[in-house]
Amino acid sequence: MAEPTSNQLRVRLVTPERILFEADAPAVELPAKNGYMEVLYGHAPLMAELGAGDVRIHQGGIESTSPETTRYNVSWGFVEVLGDRVTILANDALKPEEIDVTRAEQQLDRGENMWKEAGESEEAYDEALRVISEAEAKISSAAEVEKH
Amino acid sequence: MANVLDLRRRIRSVKNTRQITKAMKMVSAAKLRRAQERALAARPYARMITSVLQSLRGRVDLFDEKTGNLCSPLFVTRPEKRVLLIVVSGDKGFAGAFNANILKVAYQFINGNPDKEIDIEAVGRKSRDQLRRRYPAAVYTEQTDEHGQTLQVRSARQGNVELTGDHPGLLVKLEISRVEALAHNIIARYVHEEIDAAYIVYNEFKSVISQRLVVERLLPLIEVGKQQITGAVEPTAEEKERRAEAALSAGIDLEPADTTEAEEEAKKFGTQNVDYIYEQPPSELFAGLLPQYIFSMLYHAMTESVAAEHAARMTAMDSATNNASDMIDDLTLHMNRVRQAAITKEIIEIVSGAAAL
Repeated sequence: MAEPTSNQLRVRLVTPERILFEADAPAVELPAKNGYMEVLYGHAPLMAELGAGDVRIHQGGIESTSPETTRYNVSWGFVEVLGDRVTILANDALKPEEIDVTRAEQQLDRGENMWKEAGESEEAYDEALRVISEAEAKISSAAEVEKH
Repeated sequence: MANVLDLRRRIRSVKNTRQITKAMKMVSAAKLRRAQERALAARPYARMITSVLQSLRGRVDLFDEKTGNLCSPLFVTRPEKRVLLIVVSGDKGFAGAFNANILKVAYQFINGNPDKEIDIEAVGRKSRDQLRRRYPAAVYTEQTDEHGQTLQVRSARQGNVELTGDHPGLLVKLEISRVEALAHNIIARYVHEEIDAAYIVYNEFKSVISQRLVVERLLPLIEVGKQQITGAVEPTAEEKERRAEAALSAGIDLEPADTTEAEEEAKKFGTQNVDYIYEQPPSELFAGLLPQYIFSMLYHAMTESVAAEHAARMTAMDSATNNASDMIDDLTLHMNRVRQAAITKEIIEIVSGAAAL
């Protein structure tokens, strides 16, 4: 890894079990609840809720194709961005290679069933949506591994 | 009087038992080490959730300006009529009084609140088995509402205390998803006013010698970031000494690894004295964080309980090994005496036989 220079972000990915990842990187992509965002060094302090999707830690640079990009599939959580520090609190985080696609597909089916059976209950719809988006994020994340 | 051969057999059998208890002790020690590591690794997350909640708490008005309602239903306090009690015990025996002590505290809680309706959620096989024998399980019936959906409706109570659920084997391989499901279940019950408060009974584990049984309040949240302990049982000095002895002989550190630095680091999360841009309205963030906070409290209780269970088993097996050694010593002494007595008797017989000639 490159020597930490002054314009590097200290990125930490923390799950309920342990600190999963800690490194310096110039840029991070985050799946915030209402869309992806990218954070560079010197970003204004920010607090956001995360949705389901991929966190990309671009250790090599901003180009997402750079080989030095670490990718984690996270589902729900929170992130704190400070000028030189990004701390991601994820409810669940997986490496894309670790995703069990068949299980994710089962989850998607389950979510779709929940969606159909939700009826008029708003709560059930929200829950179904959560399950579906989590499953979709996992599947697309796993599919990207196969492409490379 | 037993003869030498019998005694020898007896000694061999005790030796075998000692072998087993010794092995179990070493296994427990290894598991304890792993459980301790896991508890430590889980701490940054819990710490961060707590500190960000505390800092948000200062920025968010708990009461909605327009309606005057509390911003999260988890802060609502109601008179405690129906209480949920989560009992965290072990899955296996052979751990001394570990499970019995937890159940004792649980029964104390139940007997101390005779006028309340108590729902029990049993975590761990041992407490489930015991509680199931004493209290009836809650009965649910399926009903169809006007929209044609089936609903689970709880039937009339059979007594003040009922078992609403059990989770055997949850602690064997502490899976985040299962603990999360339990946390969501508890929160949903609280929000739907099925319960007015939630308490958890578990064995707190700071280090091998510093542990105690506590009753902690999960809900309602009265103050974020402070343990709401409503009852605790400290171990006696003698017990502490035994634990320390057992830990030393198994090569376990008495004091946990120093994590103050990491803790300090984690405390900073979300508390910088700057104006954050909140991607979502702070109240929404707050509402999103609260279930996570409940989850992390639950997970924390479970990781500690697992470590305490292994520590208790290690101590119990260490005592058993010592007792077996003492027994072997006694038996060996006894056997030697018997053997000598037999030899003496034979000599007397020979000598008196020779004298008679």
